[in-house]
Amino acid sequence: MKLFRSKAKDHKEADDGLGLFLFDDVSAALKAEKALKSGGYDAKLVAPPANLRTGCDLAVALPRVEYPGAVRTLEAYHADFKEWADTQAGSAALADLVSAVDFGDWIMVRAANMKMTVEKSSGRIINTSGGGCPDIPYLNLELVGKTVWEAPPPRSLGFTLCGLMLDRAYRECKEYVERRGEA
Amino acid sequence: MSLLVVGTIPIGSGRVFAGPVERATDGALSIGGERCPVCQGTPAMLLAAEAVSRYLATPQPYALLGGDLGRGDGTRAVYDRLEEAVGESHARVIAFHYLQPIMALMRGAVESLESRTGLGELMLVADAGGMYAAKASGVASHFELMTPDVGEVGFLADPNVSHPAYAARHLLGGDGFDPADLARRAAETRGAARVLLIKGVTDRITVGGEVVASVDSPDVPALEAIGGTGDTITGLAAALIAAGVPTVEAAVCAARVNREAGRCLNARPYHRATDLVDQFPAALAEHVGSMDVLRVSRA
Repeated sequence: MKLFRSKAKDHKEADDGLGLFLFDDVSAALKAEKALKSGGYDAKLVAPPANLRTGCDLAVALPRVEYPGAVRTLEAYHADFKEWADTQAGSAALADLVSAVDFGDWIMVRAANMKMTVEKSSGRIINTSGGGCPDIPYLNLELVGKTVWEAPPPRSLGFTLCGLMLDRAYRECKEYVERRGEA
Repeated sequence: MSLLVVGTIPIGSGRVFAGPVERATDGALSIGGERCPVCQGTPAMLLAAEAVSRYLATPQPYALLGGDLGRGDGTRAVYDRLEEAVGESHARVIAFHYLQPIMALMRGAVESLESRTGLGELMLVADAGGMYAAKASGVASHFELMTPDVGEVGFLADPNVSHPAYAARHLLGGDGFDPADLARRAAETRGAARVLLIKGVTDRITVGGEVVASVDSPDVPALEAIGGTGDTITGLAAALIAAGVPTVEAAVCAARVNREAGRCLNARPYHRATDLVDQFPAALAEHVGSMDVLRVSRA
């Protein structure tokens, strides 16, 4: 049973005037995105263009005109980047398909290739599954047994795109449990 | 034949564990005599492979694992040790599993294995990050078997993406989702192994993009929620191939045994992969015992 519809993409794939910050790894991209958002920038996480991909990687897109100030913000937050590409041509948005399966006392939320299952009554995370990057077994050990309020967001512990998708499932689980509590 | 499993375990050291895999009487996983964490991911796969080798009395699997929390340090360490481990294990089946999907390392490993032995003597299996890296680096068609789930087969079919997180939404289980069609597209774009075991409500086995077998019973929906139950299927299939079972038969048998173990367990979403592995002796007896080829293998 699908309980969620995919949310409308908040990323425009062909925005004019966007450039990309490129990074050595996903965790550096996540740190930079957080820093830029804290600094008031409308930064978006995207896949780098094919010719710049190494595998499990992520880029941050924002308007080219904002580049100089954005660099100062990244420096202030000690968020390193590898290079700046003056175009976002060839980049792609993250998958944003979210669905759920109702197991009675539990609900499983899928986000792309990742899944998280919580107990409806308590909000306790009882399992995570899917994915294939090395931080996924680590996140399973860190999250299972905690409630969605006790558990750290997966993006704060993980380093990979699988971890980022698990964070997406976690946020949906948390919203579901909180909505259910209010009902 | 023997099986070499290349993967990671969730410790943050970059430390490498290499050696034969054993399961102690208390359920602990031991690699080369050293105890390792038991969890979803490559440890779950190894426990399943070990169960097969124990049941069939075939050589135990050999593991090459790096401690890696997602930074790629353990992944790089195991690629550095791969050639040595292939020699030590005398492996003819090599399974790449939970690894940071670093395209250059996977491409280099496959080229190195080809130059060393010729892939005619080796069978390559991939799942998880090993599968992501093989597809993204353009060497997927060198593999004998991959075991994607429904959220991953669309990634194999899309030549423009390097990770399932970027696969287009219509390829990830949305409206119009058709795993058989995606398997064909993956084969046409050389994004898949010769044989795919696509894990889902119905497990489909494809050869060259064509569905040759399906497994849909027993139906145990909770298995999808349990972390590591896809890993156990891969471990079962890889170990059966290493025991001499043809790949398609091994994939069908792995799908059936995993489901049967779930039925025996009366699986619920809160169970662990180790709970499932504990049911494998009974499930193997139910399904493997009836396969002529394995009776020969056991003799």
